[in-house]
Amino acid sequence: MFKLPNLNIGKISLLVAIMTWLALLFVDITRLFGKINQLDSQIAPEVSYILQIIFFIMVYLFFHHSIQKSEKSNFLDLIWRGASTGLLATGVSLLISLFYFMLGDSRLASDPILKNIFYHIDFGFITIFLVSSTLLWKHLILYQKNKRIVNQWQGFEIGLLVSMFFVFFNQNSLDYSFLFGLGVLVIFGISLSVNLKWIPYLTFKEKWKSILYLVVILISSSYLFIQILSYSSSISPYLNLTDNLFLLSLFAFVFIYSLFSFLVTLFNLPTSSVFEQKLVEAINFQRLSQSIKPGQNENQVLDILMDSCMSAAYVDAAWLEILDVNGNKNVIHQRFVGNKERMELQKLIEETKPFSDFRWDNRANDSKTLIGKLPDFKYKSAMIVPLVIHKKTLGRIYLVKEVKDGFNKEMINIISTFVGQACISVENYRLLNEALKNERYKEELLIAQRVQRSLLPSKLHHDDSFQIHGFSEAADEVGGDYYETQELGEGKFAIIIGDVSGKGTSAAFNMSQMKGVFHSLVQLNPSPSEFLIKANAALSHCLEKNHFITTSYFVLDTVSQVITYSRAGHCPTLFFKAKENVSEYLSIDGMGLGVLRNKMYEKYVHQKDVHYEEGDIMILFTDGIIEAKNQEGEEFGYERLKLSVNDGHALTASQIQQKIIEDMYEFIGSSSLPDDDYSLLVIKFLQKPQ
Amino acid sequence: MLKIETKHDSNFTTLHLIGEVDASNSVELDEHISGLVDSGVQKILVDGSALEYISSAGLGVFMSYIEDFQEKNISLVIFGLNERVYQVFRILGLDQLIQIKSDKEEALRV
Repeated sequence: MFKLPNLNIGKISLLVAIMTWLALLFVDITRLFGKINQLDSQIAPEVSYILQIIFFIMVYLFFHHSIQKSEKSNFLDLIWRGASTGLLATGVSLLISLFYFMLGDSRLASDPILKNIFYHIDFGFITIFLVSSTLLWKHLILYQKNKRIVNQWQGFEIGLLVSMFFVFFNQNSLDYSFLFGLGVLVIFGISLSVNLKWIPYLTFKEKWKSILYLVVILISSSYLFIQILSYSSSISPYLNLTDNLFLLSLFAFVFIYSLFSFLVTLFNLPTSSVFEQKLVEAINFQRLSQSIKPGQNENQVLDILMDSCMSAAYVDAAWLEILDVNGNKNVIHQRFVGNKERMELQKLIEETKPFSDFRWDNRANDSKTLIGKLPDFKYKSAMIVPLVIHKKTLGRIYLVKEVKDGFNKEMINIISTFVGQACISVENYRLLNEALKNERYKEELLIAQRVQRSLLPSKLHHDDSFQIHGFSEAADEVGGDYYETQELGEGKFAIIIGDVSGKGTSAAFNMSQMKGVFHSLVQLNPSPSEFLIKANAALSHCLEKNHFITTSYFVLDTVSQVITYSRAGHCPTLFFKAKENVSEYLSIDGMGLGVLRNKMYEKYVHQKDVHYEEGDIMILFTDGIIEAKNQEGEEFGYERLKLSVNDGHALTASQIQQKIIEDMYEFIGSSSLPDDDYSLLVIKFLQKPQ
Repeated sequence: MLKIETKHDSNFTTLHLIGEVDASNSVELDEHISGLVDSGVQKILVDGSALEYISSAGLGVFMSYIEDFQEKNISLVIFGLNERVYQVFRILGLDQLIQIKSDKEEALRV
């Protein structure tokens, strides 16, 4: 495949421009030579005009390309490029003048051919200066592009292109059509020259530099213009290249735009600090709004906030007072003021109106800034800005100035905005931390839950003479209900049910203590009353002052079919007598474990026996079942439990357990969730094994 | 929800409990009682006529002061409990350690 070589427009245009210039020089000198020697070798001036236009276009292309290559350079570099080309062109022109000055009246000084060569050199540099400057201005004008300006600029370029060919129309004589064309292009140039939006982006120092460069450009263009005028008055023997509509229009444009830029930059100098300030504020705002990254703390945000507020209002001293968790005020971030001076000032401020009206507990402190005069020798005005998160004031910033009424509306607005943004950042940070902490708690609760679930037995001891079935449900992640069995041998079984006061993790811990106590004591094969007395003694040492455990302890003798039981503050056990088809609660006095933590406890422990027969049912439960409430606030209660058991007495132990739970759920309504733990242990006695 | 009203009379102080005592507000009850103990009150009457429910945490508060009361010779009498709340005290056995009376007159006679 045929492939186009990668053309380098910059190099080619430069080469062509130089060659065109040389050709132009050769043509003009040849013509001049013919003229002087009256030879009949006249070359039409149109040849020179065509070469001149090609030269213009090539220079334009070259600079267009070279500026595009340095797209990223800043304004100052661009203006410097214009100024340096101006200096170069002026320098060359000055050197030529100096050369002729040194020649004095010698024959060489009046040699027309040498003069014409220098004229061409001058023409070349002036073209380079004007075209390059025009393209630089184009870059500046189109800095903030919109469609209108781009169109306007393209119109201007077309006008310039047309002006190049104008020379064929009137041979560069200064007639009305020339003046008309010049007038149109100058007005076009002026209308473009109001686009000076790049100037505010210069810093104060850069503005000074650009003023200097612009002055250089103005002087260069003025000098070169005068130089051209002097040429056109003494140029009669040769072809006039410089009284060209294109060049003169560029002169006007370059000069006007430089002048406008110079004046606007000059008058912008005093306000440039305002623009710089706004830029700093915008950056500060961005820094404040970036959420605090992990590993940092809110102190850093407050630090940025202090700096931002201080620079926004040019304050002379400032400090930040923060309310800690215990309500103590701590001063952090103290700037340009000593401890002693600050304390005196703070006292003074707090005694002065309107600052004395400040209330920490006011829930409407948000965006309520206080500004006022200070009766102090050094500091004349002060401002207090509260930091408010969720309507809670967590601190306040003090800003003081040495001048009276030092805070204007803009300062107050921007400071309020800063403070608002900082508060949002701090709040976000705290919420994030809380979320992380909650996540950790949930994790811990999950572990506690697993531990607690493993405390409830998965298997209950029994023999063929009775069925036993347990059920437990916790309202919280971890519950405090407990039941357990143990085989004592010779057909004897120990059964315990308990409820630990309180809820959640602490209840689960106490429950595990109860389990430990049960497994220790059951080894000694105690009677129920002995068990309770010993358990109370043991738990008295480990339970918190306001905690207790209620429990019922049973020893089941399947040989004599007798249940021996004691109750320690636990809800009474339901006993269904199959023979009479009635159920009743086993009444016995007793006191919760841990309620009385001394020898007196024994007085309150009782023990009873109950004889059972085949088909009898014993229901052990915790108060969650009884206290389960429906939407009207009515409790499930002892009577409904009784009815439920009476109804279901023919079922197996596990079916009875399911029926009770279903009845309870039906009563409370499926919509409400249990707010307590509830556990159930159903024991159904079968035929005595032979 | 729990509301506690304290009324000081010449020789006794009445705590009127209104609403429910559960784990979330038992601390409030505890603070009231410990405040009275610290202030040197010798006789405390607890008016439970508007007490609708008491959880084990609430019972724990009363329980935890039994020894304190004995040491400092303070008498605490609860009166006016409804049947359901009274049963809660009774089942735990607290009725054997704390005097529970049916009305104010009886409570004052203690």
